[in-house]
Amino acid sequence: MEKMSRVTTALGGSVLTGRTMHCHLDAPANAISVCRDAAQVVVAGRSIFKIYAIEEEQFVEKLNLRVGRKPSLNLSCADVVWHQMDENLLATAATNGVVVTWNLGRPSRNKQDQLFTEHKRTVNKVCFHPTEAHVLLSGSQDGFMKCFDLRRKDSVSTFSGQSESVRDVQFSIRDYFTFASTFENGNVQLWDIRRPDRCERMFTAHNGPVFCCDWHPEDRGWLATGGRDKMVKVWDMTTHRAKEMHCVQTIASVARVKWRPECRHHLATCSMMVDHNIYVWDVRRPFVPAAMFEEHRDVTTGIAWRHPHDPSFLLSGSKDSSLCQHLFRDASQPVERANPEGLCYGLFGDLAFAAKESLVAAESGRKPYTGDRRHPIFFKRKLDPAEPFAGLASSALSVFETEPGGGAMRWFVDTAERYALAGRPLAELCDHNAKVARELGRNQVAQTWTMLRTIYCSPGLLPTANLSHSVGKGGSCGLQLMNSFNLKDMAPGLGSETRLDRSKGDARSDTVLLDSSATLITNEDNEETEGSDVPADYLLGDVEGEDDELYLLDPEHTHPEEPECVLPQEAFPLRHEIVDTPPGPEHLQDKADSPHVSGSEADVASLAPVDSSFSLLSVSHALYDSRLPPDFFSVLVRDMLHFYAEQGDVQMAVSVLIVLGERVRKDIDEQTQEHWYTSYIDLLQRFRLWNVSNEVVKLSTSRAVSCLNQASTTLHVNCSHCKRPMSSRGWVCDRCHRCASMCAVCHHVVKGLFVWCQGCSHGGHLQHIMKWLEGSSHCPAGCGHLCEYS
Amino acid sequence: MFVARSIAADHKDLIHDVSFDFHGRRMATCSSDQSVKVWDKSESGDWHCTASWKTHSGSVWRVTWAHPEFGQVLASCSFDRTAAVWEEIVGESNDKLRGQSHWVKRTTLVDSRTSVTDVKFAPKHMGLMLATCSADGIVRIYEAPDVMNLSQWSLQHEISCKLSCSCISWNPSSSRAHSPMIAVGSDDSSPNAMAKVQIFEYNENTRKYAKAETLMTVTDPVHDIAFAPNLGRSFHILAIATKDVRIFTLKPVRKELTSSGGPTKFELHIVAQFDNHNSQVWRVSWNITGTVLASSGDDGCVRLWKANYMDNWKCTGILKGNGSPVNGSSQQGNSNPSLGSNIPSLQNSLNGSSAGRKHN
Repeated sequence: MEKMSRVTTALGGSVLTGRTMHCHLDAPANAISVCRDAAQVVVAGRSIFKIYAIEEEQFVEKLNLRVGRKPSLNLSCADVVWHQMDENLLATAATNGVVVTWNLGRPSRNKQDQLFTEHKRTVNKVCFHPTEAHVLLSGSQDGFMKCFDLRRKDSVSTFSGQSESVRDVQFSIRDYFTFASTFENGNVQLWDIRRPDRCERMFTAHNGPVFCCDWHPEDRGWLATGGRDKMVKVWDMTTHRAKEMHCVQTIASVARVKWRPECRHHLATCSMMVDHNIYVWDVRRPFVPAAMFEEHRDVTTGIAWRHPHDPSFLLSGSKDSSLCQHLFRDASQPVERANPEGLCYGLFGDLAFAAKESLVAAESGRKPYTGDRRHPIFFKRKLDPAEPFAGLASSALSVFETEPGGGAMRWFVDTAERYALAGRPLAELCDHNAKVARELGRNQVAQTWTMLRTIYCSPGLLPTANLSHSVGKGGSCGLQLMNSFNLKDMAPGLGSETRLDRSKGDARSDTVLLDSSATLITNEDNEETEGSDVPADYLLGDVEGEDDELYLLDPEHTHPEEPECVLPQEAFPLRHEIVDTPPGPEHLQDKADSPHVSGSEADVASLAPVDSSFSLLSVSHALYDSRLPPDFFSVLVRDMLHFYAEQGDVQMAVSVLIVLGERVRKDIDEQTQEHWYTSYIDLLQRFRLWNVSNEVVKLSTSRAVSCLNQASTTLHVNCSHCKRPMSSRGWVCDRCHRCASMCAVCHHVVKGLFVWCQGCSHGGHLQHIMKWLEGSSHCPAGCGHLCEYS
Repeated sequence: MFVARSIAADHKDLIHDVSFDFHGRRMATCSSDQSVKVWDKSESGDWHCTASWKTHSGSVWRVTWAHPEFGQVLASCSFDRTAAVWEEIVGESNDKLRGQSHWVKRTTLVDSRTSVTDVKFAPKHMGLMLATCSADGIVRIYEAPDVMNLSQWSLQHEISCKLSCSCISWNPSSSRAHSPMIAVGSDDSSPNAMAKVQIFEYNENTRKYAKAETLMTVTDPVHDIAFAPNLGRSFHILAIATKDVRIFTLKPVRKELTSSGGPTKFELHIVAQFDNHNSQVWRVSWNITGTVLASSGDDGCVRLWKANYMDNWKCTGILKGNGSPVNGSSQQGNSNPSLGSNIPSLQNSLNGSSAGRKHN
């Protein structure tokens, strides 16, 4: 946050200068401490104990305190501290429990001064009294703290924490007699150095070990503690009970914490595992570090501000065997890099926008800025004095909505819902869709539909082409009829073919099928009666199983057809395409296979003429006023579809594709079609237009697409009579040999939408049941159940 | 016209990301205060916070929704070097009473050694996949082999980008002709002018992601990157938020022409570049049809960009963060006051050209 523009700091005459630099140590460091002249630093570790001079450009090794041939365990340092009043006095805490003092003023090479071997286990921390020259405090793994007077041979007093290991001890700066100690069980204790019998105060500061603490350098009675729970907490110790003032959440357990000089709310932390960085936090903004030093490649073990009144120099030692001087101005500032805004376009054209409050502050007459990256800083600076405290930033969240009820995408939903894609002659479909588009104010789209109608279904034909056309027409009609009939008529002949084809893979299932032919017949009959109720849908539903024959048929018979001959029969090509689709997982056994089917021929015959007359009718209209065959336009239509797709209106591309069907399909490669279909379906699903989406899936000609609604849905149905699970095929229960899905009102088998009460399992045609329930709330089957439908 | 609906987000620090779900009825926000909030739209159109929970131990940079086919699933990524996957649990009766839903952490992805700066679910047709990128310059792609088990994710790919990554975007195209593709932006601010946007493409033969393209012209730190929804286009549109807003198109060069098996070659065009924010641009977001781009910058404004039939991109609107009108909007030559009718008006304007074409 603070951009230090200067490198040098005037401090009572002496001037600190330097740069960000590091030097390699021979061994990992465990702790560092700075001399009060801010020109030397001592580094201590298991196998290192050296003093370095901090020069302008580099660290210079000044003194190696590890002397003697045989390295003693006493030299394996866990902590080191340099006296802040006496430049010659140092103390180390050894891993074997020894506290050693060093006097740099000694003339000999060995500077070791005193040795206190009172602790039983590793000494974690040593601390000099800030104002008293001879008082040294130690905290050990054995749970005891000892106070030494350096003028005496042994400890003056021993403090028992009555709990687990001591992790840190530190004299209060504010109070001459007070020191704080932190424990592995999460407690912090406050002691009066004159009263070793019991602590003054104790409170639980963290979950798990409290690894460190630091008194605020200014006289405020604030104590910062850091723990394994990844938190740094700031306590106000002046009140009767320790009061938590701030809590900073870091990303790893906190090993060291040090208040930053001259910056009342800043403190530096480092972690003992995982995280190698040093962070400087503004405790008022507890979530984002104000600065980050990323130089170390291994865990940082010791941090120290170089001078007690200079906030810009930080020294650190690390397990990566390096000693670093960090300049605050070189720190990376996560706040600066953090994205102050969030923006998301919603489905209906609404926009969610979250932005830093200072960025969106209401200043209508604000002039545009010319700078770039410094804006947030500029802003912050500007606002800082005004706000009680500027550290914490907050964002304003708003959603920009278009007009209620659909918004900018209303046209899409309306179009999707109102378009007719199949089931009517092409001309009607085009007219209808053009009307829909026009009503929605989409004139270009409307125009396109009108033109499509003109191209493909205008009367008047080329005289020369007439003959061939009519011939083709006749042929196609015949074929169409055949196609509609083929299910039954051609079944015997075809069936054998099919069976032959299949015999490789499916022979077994076929025999099974034949075995259960009795069942099938009833099944068939049921369906036929049902089918006659709804002729239009019947073919669609019924042929689902027969794809194999048709698949065989189509290549043979539809190929000779000339494209324009297919035109008259709008509805048919689509249906055939559906038939073309790969078999779904629960592929019904082909009924046409079995000769029994011919029995129901009459039904189909009655059906087919209706359809074919339809087609004949439209054939008579399918004459062209222009002298151009529709083929001429196919390139243009293809381009148009591509144009719409590239413009992001995949709805138009897919709708035209479906409506025109075979006429354009061949001009557009399969992959592109599939791409359009999947894109459009995805869009429909976003808008929860499940019905439209399913219709598109059904009408699609792309295999990969039409598979979509045949996968990953399993319906488990129980027979309504015997309550046993139904077998996967057919409508007849295997066990009670009764048809399961009878309409309770009309006593016919329900094919298609079947609605039933979940209480008594009786139900029937949606319309019938709805009608019934208008008059009665009891089950139409007479079971006495008060049916409930939601 | 847009109406600004202000929401009391009550995040304790900056909000870094907002994200709508697939159906646009839910919204998630994430903040430096280490929490994620989920907002549900009521019938009246108000947004209600239905969940708020602490997700990470550092700033949460990004939050993103998975396709609803996989459940109500969120992913978040954080300064704390992790990404996490969350799932909403239904049937917590206690919470339901207070109108709060319950989210549980399904997994924590801990592979990064540095801040994870972005997380994005792959397009649905690729299965349940997740990409993260981190400040150490590595893009990681995870896959949940069993979509029913959100607690098991395997690291499939690690792509090294050499530069600190700030944002990623999957190419949403569902076409089989387009292999999976991911664009990565870097906010590396070091003075060396290196390209900050790289595009990686999955190679079926090597089963690895390989660099397909580098946008050499983008050398300033990139804060956000977004592929436009594809919707059947044969080419891709990529928006980049850097010191300005840029829009690129990537037209795949036909496969047959390139050496088979190699990475797809692209014809790369910059179609728009706007510095109207006069400052860093932080976010770009496409509307659902990929026809309107929204960008937000340090000027605190959202600007909307849209192409006319000539493929000229123009500013069509400016929205002030607090909903107040922007004076500068009149300076934008092409500002369109009624944004609600954007699409139809496009259709109208397109009418001329396509009709003209047809008569040719």
